Amino acid sequence: MTVKAFSDEWATQFKDEVNNSSVYKSAAKGWKWTVGLVVEAEPDKNFPEAKGVVMDLFDGEAREIKVGPASAAQQCDFVITAPYSRWKQVATKELDATKGMLQGKLKLKGDLPTIVRYTKASQEMTECTTRVPVEWPDES
Amino acid sequence: MLGGLIEANVGSRPEKRKDFEALASRVGIWVTDIEEGVTLDFQKGRLVVHNGLGPKRDLTIRAEAGTVMNLSNLKIGLFGMPVYYDKVGRGVAAKLVQGKLRIDGLVGNLATLNAVTRIFSVAG
Repeated sequence: MTVKAFSDEWATQFKDEVNNSSVYKSAAKGWKWTVGLVVEAEPDKNFPEAKGVVMDLFDGEAREIKVGPASAAQQCDFVITAPYSRWKQVATKELDATKGMLQGKLKLKGDLPTIVRYTKASQEMTECTTRVPVEWPDES
Repeated sequence: MLGGLIEANVGSRPEKRKDFEALASRVGIWVTDIEEGVTLDFQKGRLVVHNGLGPKRDLTIRAEAGTVMNLSNLKIGLFGMPVYYDKVGRGVAAKLVQGKLRIDGLVGNLATLNAVTRIFSVAG
């Protein structure tokens, strides 16, 4: 079922995809930090307000994924920030998240050695986002 | 990001600081699938990061983004040598054999490569 991008339904489907991934489960063993995704507003793309995705991830499991204000995501242990259209590129496989971080297209805040240690888990998490069928606000 | 990774590693791990303070070398890293890179100018306890590949590099590492990240995941074993026999190490060695990881200037700079790998490593 297609869901609106960064909606509560999207968060639920994303969480299910993560928890159904055996690759993620094994690659994220030992992970115990929260991750926040800040989706910056782009009014010209019909995305007028910034949103935050708060992910409570623990030892290979997504315990909770919630969409809320950007300020909530900014409180997480790791925060990845990018404009709406950049996240759309990631979710549609136009932009690889690892490359995006190396290029500074996705801004990362948090302990770099820790996130680098879990590169495979973060790549699989990105794969999980691409499996959620999404209705994009700039296409509707 | 690579500069940030080194800063975090050196700041939190005394054994990496020792390597960092001893290293004087210019190392280029070219990420082939984004066609961007940096030159890391190690100056015995100081690091200057230049965009792009600068002149007078001792070593140049060319690989895809994923492989560059995997280099940071190489474990460090006995005598400070990178471990190439575990899963990550075998993956890196395979990229080298397949030509997907190229290291120019390796002859005469093996010790530098090992020191850079130790500084980068988040696993060892």
